[in-house]
Amino acid sequence: MANIRFNNVQKSYGPFQAIRNFDLSVEDGDFCVFVGPSGCGKSTALKMLAGLEATSGGTIEIGGRDVTDLGPGKRDIAMVFQNYALYPHMTVRANIGFGLKMRNMDKAEINAKVEEAAAMLELTDYLDRRPRALSGGQRQRVALGRAIVREPSAFLMDEPLSNLDAKLRVQTRSEIVKLQKRLGVTTIYVTHDQVEALTMATKIVVMRGGVIQQIGTPEDLFETPANLFVAGFIGSPGMNFFRGPVEVENGRAVTRFGDQKVTLNVAPEKLSGTHAIFGIRPEHMVVGDTTMPGAPVALSLVESLGTEKILHFPTPKGQALEGDTGIEGSDDAERDAQTMLARVIDDRRYRDGETVHVALPEGKVHVFDPDSHVAL
Amino acid sequence: MQKRSFLGSFGLYGTVIVVCGLLLFPIYWMVLTALSPRTQLRSYPPKFWPEDPQWNVFSDLLAAQPFGLWMWNTVLIAVATMILSLTIGVLAAYALSRHRLRGGQGLGLFILTSKMLPATLLVIPLFAIFKSLGLVGSLWSVVIAQSTLIVPFATWMLKGYFDTIPAELEQAALVDGCSPLAALVRVVLPVAAPGLAATSLYAFVISWSDFLYARTFLTTSESKWTLNVGIATLKGEFVTDWNTIMAASLMAALPIIGVYLFLERYLVGGLSAGAEK
Repeated sequence: MANIRFNNVQKSYGPFQAIRNFDLSVEDGDFCVFVGPSGCGKSTALKMLAGLEATSGGTIEIGGRDVTDLGPGKRDIAMVFQNYALYPHMTVRANIGFGLKMRNMDKAEINAKVEEAAAMLELTDYLDRRPRALSGGQRQRVALGRAIVREPSAFLMDEPLSNLDAKLRVQTRSEIVKLQKRLGVTTIYVTHDQVEALTMATKIVVMRGGVIQQIGTPEDLFETPANLFVAGFIGSPGMNFFRGPVEVENGRAVTRFGDQKVTLNVAPEKLSGTHAIFGIRPEHMVVGDTTMPGAPVALSLVESLGTEKILHFPTPKGQALEGDTGIEGSDDAERDAQTMLARVIDDRRYRDGETVHVALPEGKVHVFDPDSHVAL
Repeated sequence: MQKRSFLGSFGLYGTVIVVCGLLLFPIYWMVLTALSPRTQLRSYPPKFWPEDPQWNVFSDLLAAQPFGLWMWNTVLIAVATMILSLTIGVLAAYALSRHRLRGGQGLGLFILTSKMLPATLLVIPLFAIFKSLGLVGSLWSVVIAQSTLIVPFATWMLKGYFDTIPAELEQAALVDGCSPLAALVRVVLPVAAPGLAATSLYAFVISWSDFLYARTFLTTSESKWTLNVGIATLKGEFVTDWNTIMAASLMAALPIIGVYLFLERYLVGGLSAGAEK
């Protein structure tokens, strides 16, 4: 068990900088998730921590010890790979015990530890099988077993759930979290799935283009995203954005959403320009409450998940975000700037084409600088 | 599995029988020639079964020629060549497959081009080199010369095989505490067993069937002759005893079959299934 520190770590492949100024401190026992779209450098950061990739600058510490120049075997870490990387020519028992054998532990002790780990993961009946005779979920547990049996100072996990089907993924997700809580081992977990990040992490690192965008708890990221990218990436469906003018009324900043005036929770002196980018989460949109100031919109599509409904309607004319704003959602990558979403839990039936009243509650609207995209 | 129609089975087995027949006919002819009395060898129409098989041709051969010695020399050379070329080939192929070397691709192609040089072109410079090293007449000369032909191809065969093994497998081994060499030996090579078996077989067969190098480097020292060199001397200036030559060739082919049968179970792929998802 140990804390982990990245001090201004860099990684470049020739002229290409894969990781820039990576500074991060993970406390002992944290479950830290690196999340971001593919190619953002999250796996590279993990591999540098594992010692599988060399750093181009900066230092990495595990438990206060500088491990920057140590090989992977000397860092006292265990890793779970996306494709599990089980040794196909060994039995499950040998797979789990391999790391202990490499550390010259005696046979009886290895066997005892392997049995214990297998019992914890319900693999006891499969110990003498080979990986190819196991199902995907079982292989995944063997990979976990290989990691926990070593009792390392940190677990590194590289998208360990992405090869499982949806149902098993949700189940294994909570099992990993429970296991980590029980063992109390500092864990770094890489995923491109923001839902996994939000549900598992005690600390999330959002990355993009090799640069850390924001570090915080799931709540921090959801409630106060640092910039437009984090706002769009975290949450499902992602945040709605629109452009709007900035005006001051009675000492308070306001903008317009269609014909509606929206009061903002931001001090007017922070808003230097004449316009800004605004964001509101689909779950914060209030639909049908005519007592709140709002605008009528025509629904273009209704997606019903039973009681929960996702309502699509066009962004008010002239307020859509045009061009490349660098926003990419994780599950709605082809986000359509012309459409906004509202998520409602409601037994009322909505029909395509119907006109409903939507309101943007004060305090739920996020404001971003139109040029730097930083949250204000 | 879908049940094959009668016509489908007929076509399949018919093709298999014809192809096997074509491949096995020369071997059948060797057996026939070895066992036929000399007077029947050139008879027309040919006899497809010897009326009076001459089984003593084998014992006569063993009595008249140091066949065992030739066999032993050939085995030594083939095994040494196999070990030498595989050791070099494995390390070279692994490096080419795993490390992004500067100019690695060019290097790989260069290795392959060296395979394109015919042995006849290399034999004279090799002879000059071995002579200055005092290796002419030693089995090592043939081992080294054959390896120059086998290593390039073995490297490419193995590189192709290593490329199919996910790098995560060695990374897992490294994290588990292996040194890079231990990861290669304990994890990569066992998984690559089918590729290693195929490459070993290739090296063994090429070495076993070599005539040019053995003939050039070993002619003067009779105690170092290989099977092919020895059998070639059975061809006389005026009389050639085809029965003996065919009997010798048959016996020379047996070890190859043995090696194949031994390696066959490793040749079957599919061992790496289960490494991943």
